[in-house]
Amino acid sequence: MGQHDRYDAIVAGAGHNGLTTACYLAKAGLRVLVVEKNDWIGGAAVSRSLHEGWTYSNCSYVCSLLRREIVRDLELPKYGLQVIPYEGGASFSSDGGYFAYMSDHDALRREISRHSAHDADAYDRFSQTVIRQCRFIRPFLLRNAPDPTSLKPRDIGELLFLIKQAHGLGKKELGETLRFWSMSIGDFLDEHFENDLIKAHIAGAGIIGTGLGVYSPGTAYVLLHHYMGDVDGAIGAWGFARGGMGAISNALGACFEEAGGTIVTGSGVDRFLVSNGRVTGVALENGDEYRTPLVASNMDVKRTFLEHTEQQHLPTDFLKAVKRFKIRGSSGKLNIALDALPEFPAAPKRAPFLRGDLHCAESLNELERAYDDWKEGRWSQNPYFDMLIPSQIDPTMAPPGKHMMTVFVQYAPYDLEVGGVRAGTNWNGQTRGAFADCVFDKLEQACPDIRSKTLHAEIRTPWDIEQEVGLTEGNIFQGELTFDQLLFNRPVPGYAQYDTPIDGMYIVGSSAHPGGGVMAAPGANAAKEILRNIGKSNAMTGYAA
Amino acid sequence: MTTPTYDAIVIGAGHNGLAAATTLARKGKSVCVIEKNETAGGMARNTTLAGGIQVPEIAHLLYNLHPKVTKELGLGSARAPLELRKLASVSLSEDGNHAIIRDGKAEMVDGRPHPEAAPFAELMRRLTLFAGLLGQLSTKSPPSFEGGLTSLNALTELGGLAKLGLDLKRIGKKDMREFLRVLLSNAYDLILDDLEDSPLAGALAADAVRGAYAGPRSPGTVFTLMYRMGQGGGAQLPMGGMGAVSAAFETAARAAGAEILTGYGVARVLVENDHAAGVVLEDGTRISARAVLSNTGPMPAMMLAGAKHYDVEAVRRMRNQRCKGSAAKVNLVLNGTPEFTGHNTDLAASRLLIAPSATYVERAFNPAKYGEMPENPVIEAIIPSLTDPTLVKDGRHVISAVVTSVPYGLEGGWNDAARERLAAITIATLEKYAPGIGALVIEKQVLSPACIEARTGAPGGHWHHAEMGIDQILTVRPANGMAHYRFGPEGYYLCGAGAHPGGDVTGLAGRNSAMQLLKDGVL
Repeated sequence: MGQHDRYDAIVAGAGHNGLTTACYLAKAGLRVLVVEKNDWIGGAAVSRSLHEGWTYSNCSYVCSLLRREIVRDLELPKYGLQVIPYEGGASFSSDGGYFAYMSDHDALRREISRHSAHDADAYDRFSQTVIRQCRFIRPFLLRNAPDPTSLKPRDIGELLFLIKQAHGLGKKELGETLRFWSMSIGDFLDEHFENDLIKAHIAGAGIIGTGLGVYSPGTAYVLLHHYMGDVDGAIGAWGFARGGMGAISNALGACFEEAGGTIVTGSGVDRFLVSNGRVTGVALENGDEYRTPLVASNMDVKRTFLEHTEQQHLPTDFLKAVKRFKIRGSSGKLNIALDALPEFPAAPKRAPFLRGDLHCAESLNELERAYDDWKEGRWSQNPYFDMLIPSQIDPTMAPPGKHMMTVFVQYAPYDLEVGGVRAGTNWNGQTRGAFADCVFDKLEQACPDIRSKTLHAEIRTPWDIEQEVGLTEGNIFQGELTFDQLLFNRPVPGYAQYDTPIDGMYIVGSSAHPGGGVMAAPGANAAKEILRNIGKSNAMTGYAA
Repeated sequence: MTTPTYDAIVIGAGHNGLAAATTLARKGKSVCVIEKNETAGGMARNTTLAGGIQVPEIAHLLYNLHPKVTKELGLGSARAPLELRKLASVSLSEDGNHAIIRDGKAEMVDGRPHPEAAPFAELMRRLTLFAGLLGQLSTKSPPSFEGGLTSLNALTELGGLAKLGLDLKRIGKKDMREFLRVLLSNAYDLILDDLEDSPLAGALAADAVRGAYAGPRSPGTVFTLMYRMGQGGGAQLPMGGMGAVSAAFETAARAAGAEILTGYGVARVLVENDHAAGVVLEDGTRISARAVLSNTGPMPAMMLAGAKHYDVEAVRRMRNQRCKGSAAKVNLVLNGTPEFTGHNTDLAASRLLIAPSATYVERAFNPAKYGEMPENPVIEAIIPSLTDPTLVKDGRHVISAVVTSVPYGLEGGWNDAARERLAAITIATLEKYAPGIGALVIEKQVLSPACIEARTGAPGGHWHHAEMGIDQILTVRPANGMAHYRFGPEGYYLCGAGAHPGGDVTGLAGRNSAMQLLKDGVL
């Protein structure tokens, strides 16, 4: 075995988190290899050309959570990353009406009062609470989750930081925070608003990507998870990565290669090599083996340990905990190439809010029923979707005059039920077609001519996402965002600081704290932890080492 | 100014009201309990059906009566006699292969050990351990964090919490981690991580959500399961029916010197100079007192004093309180002993559960979310007369059934037809496990959540006066800033299940509120 087969660190999986870890390690002077099973990098942050002339962000599709500290540290704009904010959004009702969301406060207030004067007053109180909670949580995203059972100074230090932040809230806010974190988005919205369409419009962010319904406690937090990001400092704002989400991965990849790293695509990890409780290398599916004392797995925790690690190397309790870690597929996606912009008869011509996120959910009960379908292994018969036409803002996504539409669908089960049997393999040409038809039917509520404008549609079920990207059950967060799986419980109690029972092996993907959403925080935090453990100084400047 | 007639008036003679009154009276205070119904007891009363059979009207079993309350009030002593019998739980299966839970252990109906006895025992061990830890918080006022986290007051509270922290440490790292993981989790996943989805799993899932407006997949249901297990989780049947429990509370109150006035509704609470000064009865009589405790739900308590005595924030919080009842009560008088498939009479005397799987329990709750009645409800039924022969009359037995996932806000409203439909659904469900039971029914009593509200005043007919969600317990029960029994005007206290620690016949809310009142120096 030659010297070229030996690396200081190997990152398994070139998703955005894996690449982020790789960048930080390479910048700290390590000789790093990234291995990726697909022929392209990016994991679920990719731009793919699946219909000639069109670019699909065929998994994740919008950007807000990507931590700006990381963007600055790694100088991603230098490598081509440009995030273009989009504004507004709307929900269309079946009776031909709509509710439009806009970021201009006065305009929004006027729009809300068109539906309910009461809700216009309530909105300020609502957004104050949400922003306050966002401010509270943001400092934690780039910090390790303290282990409450530990008496190590570092864990106590982190706990004290938490207490200090909580203390800063004051008594009343502390109570509100406890309450907010444990509430359902449905109850929270019912408390503030009376109009069903407005409630349904906001509620979507509480369920996207989860196996929870709008009335499941804990979904108010999920809303936060979608609101705590920013675009250029505007908290809660979302944007498109120019050229599709792949632009993020490509920028990370370029940064990594410039720092001297190597990326090998086209062959995934067959197994992690372990000897005497220490990781020693990685064996790829194509038979290649690489030696390394340090492995960072960007795969989710189930895939890492249940499929690619020999189980005799793992304590039984740990294995049991990994098995019960919940990663549930709940979302599907349609990527559509459009011949022309569809008509939205309800909206004023060229309304700016059509460039934002569009929905057709009309009430919280409708969303809850969509969840009930999913629990039984069916896709929602009346699905919720988050639909955008990014080519209106980013013309690189489609040929001139044509458009690209992305439709994120909640809920679609991973283990589809057919004839009493629930299995991922039940997703075939026929069921996928029926699923797409169901989504198109609902899309027609907003744009009746959508079918005639469609040139090509890529149908993505949780099963497809798992097969292609490697995310277990196609779950976009690499694990449910419920309290039993957040902070010091993520992914496994006692192993919440990116470490694993195998020396030298780390979990750096969204299965780790603080979770998914193209944030890159798990990848960066893990890199910090790895460098600290091997006694290397940190190349990060964006946040204190 | 005249001297007040009483030191304290308690509105409502539910068990918590009586516990509060007894606690105060035993400290030498003059106390009067005022109850709008003709008898004391609230939800823990007996009713008479079919010309003289005693039936537990609403609540029918005891789980959580706190030993501290029993001791302090002297319940079960010669002063206030109360006899309890432990009941095993039988989770029914249509094929007769029922699962039996006795003293926290699982077995099969024919005496064989349950195939999942070991994982079940381990699950129960953990839950009982955690429930015991949480139980420590129930006998004190919840921490208030008054003045932030670093003030002297908060430090004293944290001192109390430190005991909990210490005990947490003492259970070992592994269990402590498990505790922190499951605390806010959902019962469905917790149960099915260790058990197959069978009647055994169903029984736990049903216990987790009974009386709650939630399905077992809702996060927070592990907490409600642990709450129920605070005293070990075993069900106890009071001899003489639930009425005997209230009778014991009532006897204890009278023995301590409290007066109980039944048949008088309170129209409003008198507030003078922002201080509770007594009550005005519905007939216009004024009774003055130096303090008033309300055993009503939080919102009705606020309305009795008048919303103008509360700040806007508090009123808004009360209005937004989650208190949708989801449990109905169906009492059926049977002209004979029912036969359950694969069952002997001995087992029919147990707590019978219709919850064949955790998935069944979740499905049962689905329609309730949309104001619809479940076609296949979860039922907890007992036939008290099989254990307590004093309740049998002319060979007639009573089956007392708690039917859950029945919405308070039924689409179309609760009327005779709806109640009739609920009775039919209940009988049809029972019929699957006890063929022929329907033919034995000679009288029916159906109490929807709306009826329960009308009879007891509990908001939404909710068993616990307010949902026991994580967002409505401890420091935020009944609402943020109102958690210490002090309820608006000085000298006005909330002493019912809407206050910490919450529902079930525990007696703690009443006892704690009286202690807080004494500590505050109001009297």
